[in-house]
Amino acid sequence: MEYNGGSVIAMVGKDCVAIASDLRFGNQALGIASNFQRIFPVTDRTYVGLAGLGTDVTTLRERFRYRVNMYTIKEERDIEPQTFAHLVSSTLYEHRFGPYFVEPVIAGLENTSSGSKPFIAAADLIGCLNFAKDFVVAGTASSKLYGLAEGLWEPDLGPEDLFETISQTLLNGVDRDAFSGWGAVVHVITKDRVVTRTLKGRMD
Amino acid sequence: MFLTRSEYDRGVNTFSPEGRLFQVEYAIEAIKLGSTTVGVRTNEGVVLAVEKRVQSPLLESSSIEKIMEIDTHLGCAMSGLTADARMMIDHARVTAQNHAFTYDERIKVESVTQAVCDLALRFGESVHDEEALMSRPFGVALLIAGIDELGPQLYHTDPSGTFMRYEAKAIGSGSEAAQSELQDKWYRRMSLLEAQKLTLRVLKQVMEEKLDHHNVQLAQVTPEKGFEILDEVRLKEIIDAM
Amino acid sequence: MSSFNPYTQNGGTILAIAGADFSVVAGDTRQSEGYNIQTRYAPKVFRLTDRAVLAVNGFAADGNMFVKKVKQRLEWYRHAHAKDMPLRSIARLIQTMLYSRRFFPYYVYNILGGIEEDGSGAVYSFDPVGSYERETCRAAGPAQSLLQPFLDNQIYFKNQQPAPGMSHPTHLPLQAVLALVIDSFTSATERHIEVGDGLEMYIILGKGRGLQGLEGVKGVQELTISEDGERIFVVRRELKKD
Repeated sequence: MEYNGGSVIAMVGKDCVAIASDLRFGNQALGIASNFQRIFPVTDRTYVGLAGLGTDVTTLRERFRYRVNMYTIKEERDIEPQTFAHLVSSTLYEHRFGPYFVEPVIAGLENTSSGSKPFIAAADLIGCLNFAKDFVVAGTASSKLYGLAEGLWEPDLGPEDLFETISQTLLNGVDRDAFSGWGAVVHVITKDRVVTRTLKGRMD
Repeated sequence: MFLTRSEYDRGVNTFSPEGRLFQVEYAIEAIKLGSTTVGVRTNEGVVLAVEKRVQSPLLESSSIEKIMEIDTHLGCAMSGLTADARMMIDHARVTAQNHAFTYDERIKVESVTQAVCDLALRFGESVHDEEALMSRPFGVALLIAGIDELGPQLYHTDPSGTFMRYEAKAIGSGSEAAQSELQDKWYRRMSLLEAQKLTLRVLKQVMEEKLDHHNVQLAQVTPEKGFEILDEVRLKEIIDAM
Repeated sequence: MSSFNPYTQNGGTILAIAGADFSVVAGDTRQSEGYNIQTRYAPKVFRLTDRAVLAVNGFAADGNMFVKKVKQRLEWYRHAHAKDMPLRSIARLIQTMLYSRRFFPYYVYNILGGIEEDGSGAVYSFDPVGSYERETCRAAGPAQSLLQPFLDNQIYFKNQQPAPGMSHPTHLPLQAVLALVIDSFTSATERHIEVGDGLEMYIILGKGRGLQGLEGVKGVQELTISEDGERIFVVRRELKKD
């Protein structure tokens, strides 16, 4: 899990969610790419981030794309984030005894009768789901991200404040991890739009 | 004093019936044969001066080493069997460096003086838990000059292992006359320059040969520059100004 | 085949932050081994002198013994040199004591906090074999990875731009520092099983600094006797026990 490096975090705000990751792709201590995307859109309102082995990140992106497309065609509607989370779980458990070395993080807005409800979830490499109410972290800098998020997060942050909070959590967390960093990207999801920003951070 | 030599003065560690350690007292006598050394403390620093006692015009006077540095903020002058002092100075240097290494600070003047005096009585035969360093006492007295957080200080050590702090002290062959002269002329607010002149004047009085920049040596410890032995040029200036 | 392992990990976490004229050293009070809690109250932070506090974390047996030995060396120094050891000297001493066991180390991460000779707040952190450095803040122990980045952000203002025309303060006031320490430990308690039960904070204030920042803090206990020199206070708080 520490071979390529990288970290992902998602946070809940007031009627919004945010998901962010670093951009490093390395071979142990050697950094190779600083533009490695590990967060992907599932629908307009659901995003998934995958920390861990790079090849499994890429492969699972394709496998989820296949399965979500099949779902959309058959169900004639977009998949909800909670449903997608369970799709991730079952896909990973299929390989219970030869797993994909990834730690997925899911963030999105659920369509409920009372409007859009923020949703985040994370899973381990064999699909055990964690439905957190505040934040989820994954990757080589996870312990640093836990400490920072626990200190900086508070409930009901608006989209701008949530952006600042998740950005500070990610930036300061990866700065203490040798295998994460080399750039960062943040997606803030609200009911009308998704704002994607690339952060200026330390490139060492 | 020693007209009645008894059988108690041969055994290095033996007390006499009157409670005297003769060997230690004889060692102190040996220092009275040594060349005169003077030290004076002022608020600006401490001055040390030694008579080099150049016995022959063929003697290279710069090879006579009677003032030595212990650390950048400590120095000392010796009188008596100066070869004995090498061991004491080396111990002082090692103690000072060990202290700086362990505590990242300069050792106090009194502490290094105490360390040197701890060597003084380690003579005679070894006992079970303590090694004797030598077979006889040291035959040298030191004037240790230095500066620490308590200001400039001057200490005198002798073969008995006693040390005492002085404002001004003379040791060696001319010490009696020199000491009374110091007592007469020293005063508390003396400047460093005045102290330099005083030490040289005192040496001039008690030296047999005429004082010049070849047969004396001057050193000082100041807060700004630490310990330094004055070079020929500066020494000559001060002598000429006298 | 298993053999005797002389070390074990007893959990817990320590943290120290230096202010302009004060220092805070804190540690949780839980002692554990694996999933077992050995005790909910085992102090990890100790007062060495009126101006120095040492926190130890790692293997508790080595930690406790190391503190005892440091205290003994401080006493010997007081007797030999007639003064309290300055903080930088205590730091250097800790290095030499740890390195003397280079090939069978004290499994202890030390953090020394207090007031330097110039009156400034100081924190020194060490590795188990004596490598050390003066810093403004440091966390150590199992929750170090949780706390240190938070401190980087809140104390050093890393990844934060000051408002145009302004600059970040180099030191934070006591009130803000205490709040950060408490928040750090509640965060660590949430996310790390080995942290919890109780928090003990030692606050060391420089000479003549007064008690600003301590008003309104509940349960403050003074450890020093006089109001003249540096002062040390202890504050205890509960942490979650799960």
